[in-house]
Amino acid sequence: MVNTMTLATPEPSGLNVKTYENPLIGDVCGDDVPLQPGETPSPVIHTENLNLWFGEAHILQDISIDIRQNRVTALIGPSGCGKSSLLRCFNRMNDLIDHTKITGEVTYDRENIYAPGTDVVLLRKKIGMVFQKPNPFPKSIYENVAYGPRVHGIRERCELDRIVEQSLRDAALWEEVCDRLHQSAMGLSGGQQQRLCIARTLAVGPDVILMDEPCSALDPIATAKIENLIEGLKQRYTVIIVTHNMQQAARVSDDTGFMYLGKLIEFGATTQIFEHPGEELTENYITGRFG
Amino acid sequence: MSEKFHAELDLLKQDTIEMARFTRTLLADAVETLVHDDVTRAIEVKSRKREVQERTICLEDRAYQLIALYQPMARDMREIVCILKVIGAAERIGRYGKDIASITKHLADQPSFPREPPLVHMASLVAAMIDDVIDAFEQENLSLLDDLASRDDVVDELWHSIFRQTLTIMMEDPRTITRYTSYIMAARYLERSADHACKMAENIHYAIVGERIEIK
Repeated sequence: MVNTMTLATPEPSGLNVKTYENPLIGDVCGDDVPLQPGETPSPVIHTENLNLWFGEAHILQDISIDIRQNRVTALIGPSGCGKSSLLRCFNRMNDLIDHTKITGEVTYDRENIYAPGTDVVLLRKKIGMVFQKPNPFPKSIYENVAYGPRVHGIRERCELDRIVEQSLRDAALWEEVCDRLHQSAMGLSGGQQQRLCIARTLAVGPDVILMDEPCSALDPIATAKIENLIEGLKQRYTVIIVTHNMQQAARVSDDTGFMYLGKLIEFGATTQIFEHPGEELTENYITGRFG
Repeated sequence: MSEKFHAELDLLKQDTIEMARFTRTLLADAVETLVHDDVTRAIEVKSRKREVQERTICLEDRAYQLIALYQPMARDMREIVCILKVIGAAERIGRYGKDIASITKHLADQPSFPREPPLVHMASLVAAMIDDVIDAFEQENLSLLDDLASRDDVVDELWHSIFRQTLTIMMEDPRTITRYTSYIMAARYLERSADHACKMAENIHYAIVGERIEIK
């Protein structure tokens, strides 16, 4: 199938939206049924023969991947291999780039996200994104976190207060900022700003969090805090992280995909990929023989 | 950075192989001193233990440094872990050699063996096993390990055979007890050395192909 990019006004959602006790915060991952021994989590995002072009450039080639729920999936590979482009396919961020063509299928919660009529705003609420460089709004810490819920229609102050506190706690930032919520977010350190951006993403109640090199602009201490945070986040969210730091991928992820020249060369359990990968190309990249 | 790491890793592997060959020679020389009652040479063989110890510490430190500085992964990680295991096994083989040389010294005033004991044959089998394992590591040629399990079985059978024969000799002539008890010990050390060679081979196989095997 071929999907042509359409950036039309959002139409009623084709997504399968779950109802929660609170519209934005809560058990966003559906039923809390514990996995049985040997049972593997179901894929929350699935791609089938995904191809992406930017103009003439064939960026992604026949990518088929299952992103499993409540796990951390790392995408690794040399610069320009397409890992960030793949990440952006998951919440249609590539729509914002001109002359984009995409074929194949990307499903979230079993719905094709490139189907006509998909509500892209809702999609990006359910599949949030954290970028390489912390990008807080030039507003207060409180307003940064409350911005998303407000856009989605929450007006009651007490409800906003609750969401802000919960999001900052989930992002392991509350203790550091609870006494200065109304000061400018620009006064926070780089690591704190990045955790604020994560809190901002959590505030709208996503299912999936995409992270594009979230620690590359941070020092080792701030990086360790984000990594600890990721470990905690996977209890409630599905996390997909693009990283150049292979040690980081090994530390934080459950599954790892290695990409090279637009292709997914190998995808599997992180322990397997980093101990004895099946593909020679993966092994050569991981051991620094190229890239 | 990566080139520097791989150059250092290659050098560490080569030095480990050299150390393993050093301890293999120590073991073989020690058996010769026992069979020929060569106390002078036994003292020299025994003195090599210090070098084994120094090389062990030096090589292990270099391996730890590579892990700490480069956080190796996949094949590199498997190779460093394998090197550490090979160092441990080689050091153990060296110690067995030193122990056999000590036996030679200890038996200086005891009557000689009436004829060349089967220990010599056993020692040559074990030394050949160690040689092949080291060569397999150096050349990354796993075919050298193909018949290692059956060769280990032969060594085990020899050990049991030596044990039974020696008991008979000691029962017939109690004056031989001191010498032949030590002789049983030496045979046991050789049998254990063969086991260490098999263990090294398992680790080398894992380092090269990433799959575990059991040689028994």
